[in-house]
Amino acid sequence: MAAGLRAVRRWGLLAAAASPSPSPAFTRSVSVVKEANSGQPNWLGVGMAFGTSAVLWAFLIKEHNEDVMEYERRKQERQHKCTGCS
Amino acid sequence: MAFLPDESRSLPPPPLLNKGSVWLGFAGWLAALLDNAFNHRPILRAGIHRQVLFASLGCFVGYQLVKRTEYVYAKVDRELLEYIRHHPVDFPLADKKRIGQLLEDFHPVR
Repeated sequence: MAAGLRAVRRWGLLAAAASPSPSPAFTRSVSVVKEANSGQPNWLGVGMAFGTSAVLWAFLIKEHNEDVMEYERRKQERQHKCTGCS
Repeated sequence: MAFLPDESRSLPPPPLLNKGSVWLGFAGWLAALLDNAFNHRPILRAGIHRQVLFASLGCFVGYQLVKRTEYVYAKVDRELLEYIRHHPVDFPLADKKRIGQLLEDFHPVR
């Protein structure tokens, strides 16, 4: 058991201290997943999430304003066409 | 087939917070809360960035879907009214009846 633990530490698979990983046995898969630690925020993820939200809202508000302006413009055009220029 | 053809811009745009965008935004927020619950995190206080992102995504998708819905309804209405205009024989205007003709005669029982 100790030899296995030492080997895992050498390969840096064990995270700091007491993570309840199932067993430090070697898996044959390529992907290794670390357990998410909610104590230390993933600041990159937080920043990306807030940034994406800001971009989404900015795009939505811009699109809405453009739609309103385009609708008003077409309404004016239709009035001009129907009633002729007064 | 475009999602929002150009002629859809001739329609009045729906308000930013319409039933579709509010509902899907709420659904997105609920999905973030569920994600918190399934991962044993405090439900409301954890992952605010996730809640904001999912709600924003929901609002965005809801807005686009409502725009497309209104366009499809307007298109169907236009085709329906065009058909009615081209086939007046099939759609005669019902002559208005007076209320006296509709009711039965009144025979009081005294």
